[in-house]
Amino acid sequence: MKLFRRATDIQTDSAMTLAQASVGCSLRINSIKGAACDRLRSMGFCESMEVKKLSNGHNMLCTVCGTKLALNKKLAAQILVCPV
Amino acid sequence: MSSPSEQHLVALVGNPNSGKTTLFNALTGENQKVGNYSGVTVSRKSGSFRTPHGRKIELVDLPGCYSLNAQSPDEKVTRDFLIGEQDDETFPDISVCVLDASALERHLLLAMEVIELGRPVVIALNMVDLAESRGIHLDPTILSEELGVPVVPVQANKNKGTLELKQALRLPLPAIDYPKWEVSGSEAERLAARTHFIQTICGEAARRENDGTLTLTDKLDSFLLHSFTGWAALIAIMLGVFWTIFSLSSYPMDFIDESFGSIGQWAANTLPEGDFNNLIVNGVIAGIGGTLIFLPQIVLLFLFIALMEASGYMARAAFLMDRVMNLVGLSGKAFLPLLSSHACAIPGIMATRTIDSAKERLITILIAPWMSCSARLPVYFLLIAMLLPQASSLQQAGFMLGVYSLGIVTALIAARILKGRLAEDATPSHFMLELPPYRLPQLGYLLRHIWDRAWAFLKRAGTIILALSIILWALQTYPKPAKGSLASEDKSLALEQSLMGQIGHTIEPIFKPLGFDWRTSTSVLTSFAAREVFVSSLKITYSISEDIEEEEQDKLLREALAESTWPDGSKIYTPLTLLSLLIFFVYALQCLPTTAVVARETNSYNWAVGQLVGMSLFAYLAALAVFQIGTLLGF
Repeated sequence: MKLFRRATDIQTDSAMTLAQASVGCSLRINSIKGAACDRLRSMGFCESMEVKKLSNGHNMLCTVCGTKLALNKKLAAQILVCPV
Repeated sequence: MSSPSEQHLVALVGNPNSGKTTLFNALTGENQKVGNYSGVTVSRKSGSFRTPHGRKIELVDLPGCYSLNAQSPDEKVTRDFLIGEQDDETFPDISVCVLDASALERHLLLAMEVIELGRPVVIALNMVDLAESRGIHLDPTILSEELGVPVVPVQANKNKGTLELKQALRLPLPAIDYPKWEVSGSEAERLAARTHFIQTICGEAARRENDGTLTLTDKLDSFLLHSFTGWAALIAIMLGVFWTIFSLSSYPMDFIDESFGSIGQWAANTLPEGDFNNLIVNGVIAGIGGTLIFLPQIVLLFLFIALMEASGYMARAAFLMDRVMNLVGLSGKAFLPLLSSHACAIPGIMATRTIDSAKERLITILIAPWMSCSARLPVYFLLIAMLLPQASSLQQAGFMLGVYSLGIVTALIAARILKGRLAEDATPSHFMLELPPYRLPQLGYLLRHIWDRAWAFLKRAGTIILALSIILWALQTYPKPAKGSLASEDKSLALEQSLMGQIGHTIEPIFKPLGFDWRTSTSVLTSFAAREVFVSSLKITYSISEDIEEEEQDKLLREALAESTWPDGSKIYTPLTLLSLLIFFVYALQCLPTTAVVARETNSYNWAVGQLVGMSLFAYLAALAVFQIGTLLGF
């Protein structure tokens, strides 16, 4: 077991998917993975953009740069975020 | 330098909800025309105006898209147009990119992709007032320097900045050789470079200060998207819409009815007796009148759908309906096409273009005609009034609702079955939808949109329906009975001896197991061209005089149908026959224009013909089952 952890490790640790994040949080997008990443990016979910999660559920609501978007849980699971 | 007399081609590109169409209307005013791109049914909207320098500009409104990586047919058209591959059209001389200033970070992506194409670009920074009110400080000068293209702030809905935009369309406009942000490498690297650049310039040129205050849209959404109140609102809105359509449209419909009745009477009295008089009164006027009567309902339905779209509510409805549609394997995006299909399947099928998944789009197209469209209404009205003569209007309305539900439920079950049968998409697509802020719809735009729809319907009434009416008239008039024969005295006997009567008798054995006599069979046959012809065909085959008031005609027709008998003296129009006929009309795809549109939209005659045959066969079997089982049970 490593005694010291690098800063990048800590960042990866605190990362979670948008689907896991709790409602009301402001989050920053770390990375996007998976099949739909091009589509997500073209809708505005890009790396280092700020997202605010508004609601949970089968389709969740969030805002990216002031625009409200509804997206499926499976898509939200492809977006890795960390709290700001 | 080009001469001022030359016309230049300018393309308008932008994300959906960027206010692109509003800007298009503000720039071109009345000078618009709508056509189609060859090969696809995406409509090509163009208009023209002159710049302050007197140059003539042809402006093309391209379909809204999020990126140039074509996903849907709409996006493909936009990309092909910009790179000069659509319709053998040349490159646009200038592309105008419309950006929503309040969501600059998202909208800049598309603009940067367009700039990277290396053609002249002007940026229209739309909705600057909205951005300012949200606390975003914009600096068009920095934006212009960074992007390397002219940036013009506009407020398209208030017609501000349009003159400046026209001035900016100078030619020749230098294209940028190599945008600041562009890197060579894989698509992902290029995208990362774009995003990084956006972050940098938005930090400088669009500072966001107060983020997090609740806007009116947020407050409305907390009610309209709520898991309980949202549903209550959706159901109330839908019920309100359909109730308004049926109750309000009866006034203009009565008016059209009376007008055509009196025109028919006037023509019958004015024109000299003979075949020509007969053709005009019973063929042309009755045929067109019978179709035009649906215009008020169609206009109202389109008005409501346009209102829901323009106000931003349609996206909320799709969001709510997604859960329900998921149960049958469709997404919330299929809701709008299926709802529109209740007015007419054709715009419904065209509205499926917003569905990303090819499979889901095909399923939606295939089931759309089972939504009871407004052309079926007169048939429903006639049959339900005969089926429940003593019932109150509320009971009849309830029955009508049941008939509608029958179509919807069967369609959804069919979707579920098809979902398992068709091949999967290459990439799975999940629900993702932008919820635009609520806006007050622009009256001018609404009126123009509805006029376009109404005009398309009128053209159809004037061409296909007119031609059919004349053919039908001829079929039932010729060959004329010999003078002095029994048939020349008796109209219905003359009809029986006409070509139409002969056809009817030939096909009677096919429809007899469903309980239809030759007159009904003939009318059913004519209704395959367009359903609305059925009632007028019945009137003709049952020899209801055309030169009396429409209301009186309907009453006479109901009486004639109720009294008609088979040769053995038993009644033809028993409740069971009526039910069987009703079922047949719910399911049969009796609309040639729909089949033509399906062939175009699916790009395959197999699907279109398969749908036509499949639905008609299903209708036949369902009606057969109802009649035969009903007979066995002794009804």
